[in-house]
Amino acid sequence: MLSIWIGACDQGLAYAGLALGVYLTLRVLNFADITVDGSFALGGGSAALLLSDHVAPPLALLVPMGLGALAGAVTGLIHTRLGVNDLFAGILTTTGLYSITLRLMGRSNIPLTDLRLTIDSWPDLGLASDGRWLLALLLVVAGLIGLLTLLLATDLGLALRALGNNPVMARSNGVSTRRGLTFGIAAANALVALAGALVATYQGFADVTMGLGSLILGLGAVIVGETVLRPRTVPMALVAVVLGSVLFRAMIALALQLGMDPVDLKLATALLLLAALGLGRLRIPGLSDAGGRS
Amino acid sequence: MSLQVQGLRWGHAQPGGGWRQLFDNFELSCPTGQFVVVIGSNGSGKSTLLNLVAGTLQADAGSVQLEGRELVGMQDHRRARWIGRVMQNPLDGTAPGLTIAENLRLAECRRRSLFSLRGLAGLHPSRSDRRRYAELLEELGLPLADRVDTPVGQLSGGQRQTISLVMATLGQPRLLLLDEHTAALDPRAEATVMELTDRLVARLGTTTLMVTHSLEQALRHGDRLVMLQAGQLIGDWNAEERQQFTPATLRALYGSVTVGTHSSESP
Repeated sequence: MLSIWIGACDQGLAYAGLALGVYLTLRVLNFADITVDGSFALGGGSAALLLSDHVAPPLALLVPMGLGALAGAVTGLIHTRLGVNDLFAGILTTTGLYSITLRLMGRSNIPLTDLRLTIDSWPDLGLASDGRWLLALLLVVAGLIGLLTLLLATDLGLALRALGNNPVMARSNGVSTRRGLTFGIAAANALVALAGALVATYQGFADVTMGLGSLILGLGAVIVGETVLRPRTVPMALVAVVLGSVLFRAMIALALQLGMDPVDLKLATALLLLAALGLGRLRIPGLSDAGGRS
Repeated sequence: MSLQVQGLRWGHAQPGGGWRQLFDNFELSCPTGQFVVVIGSNGSGKSTLLNLVAGTLQADAGSVQLEGRELVGMQDHRRARWIGRVMQNPLDGTAPGLTIAENLRLAECRRRSLFSLRGLAGLHPSRSDRRRYAELLEELGLPLADRVDTPVGQLSGGQRQTISLVMATLGQPRLLLLDEHTAALDPRAEATVMELTDRLVARLGTTTLMVTHSLEQALRHGDRLVMLQAGQLIGDWNAEERQQFTPATLRALYGSVTVGTHSSESP
């Protein structure tokens, strides 16, 4: 029984990069970015390819991050250079990424079950493989939170936050919308691709469709985390988002425990988010303010 | 000359069809440090002139030079490095989710390219930045010195506008554009903001263009008063010459074709 919850915790931490990426685009930059659906699978697929080719695991995580950043930058450039609407720019990139990921992988699914990982020799905290993963993922996620906290506390981070908070004000103070959005979306998708790589490694396979619904999963984590912790500072918001990711996975584990068919998972997630949007828990310009009231 | 507008042309399509050529070969020159107040009836082109100078509207032709630097055609964020601007709506000039110190920090960095390695150097606003901002606000007589860590969204409209004004003067701008920046404020806040405007302009010596509908303000503030009518400069008075007016006599000039003691700069 315990292993189910530790497993949910591991999964939540593996998905934390996705939640942090969605937080960065949606909450910091105020940009609804669907690229995450494509960059999550791109991260998973490329990591699986590299790991099955026996590339060192750190490199097999860094390369997907670079690819994710590139995907995000493409969306940013489509939006800022060509003036394409944010949602549509993301859809264009994600659609293209499906083919690119499939080409990269060479097939739709790469199994990693025979893989020997460095962490297999780590202390297991008395929890076998789940314990080792818990330790490794905690380290990675703590590092991510630390790095993002530092990034958002620099002048560059301040400019990103200002851009999401009041783009008119940011521009009139010399902040380049083009560079800011492109950088921010690229950074967010690097995090998402890392999550894809970690999830693929953790679950033991990568599939070209694994990114489907990623934005919704990330959003779910952001909402749950913000509802539970009600953060007021940037570092607390990042912790809340990671906590949200873990709790979201725990909710899914609970639903499965209660007998929900895994086939219905995405439908249940979508309905849960719809309820949150409907109840006004989540107010996102562009997603929730064009409803029936206007 | 600090600001030199030459041969400016700008027109727009009218809702009912047809074209309105608002500015046609418009000229305006301001020496460094001059505080120019721009008045005129609705539709006379006051705010449009400010938008054309700030680059939020693109001129069809002509040149806007700031200390010899051509602003027309410059990228928005690059142009913004030289211009401090306060808009009519207090909500436009500040980021509500950021603290006072964070807003001031961003304005102070207007000249730097933040999306570079320089933007990653150090954590800001640091403790010493915050202390410096608190001292600045205290020096300016604003009761916000102990609230530098308060999100700007928690301030009143008047307080937000004072922060916008302080921001517009940070980072050594070469031109200050004030677009009816007291129009949305109550009389008390208006007095505070105008008093602060005079003090900041005098302190920094920045060339300033202020658009206003308040004739009282027009007669009390600035070194020079100009009147626009349908995109033309129909009046141009220095501080001494404008003493001939009262708000009522000035109001009577609205709608005139040409007035003033010297209108050599009108097209």
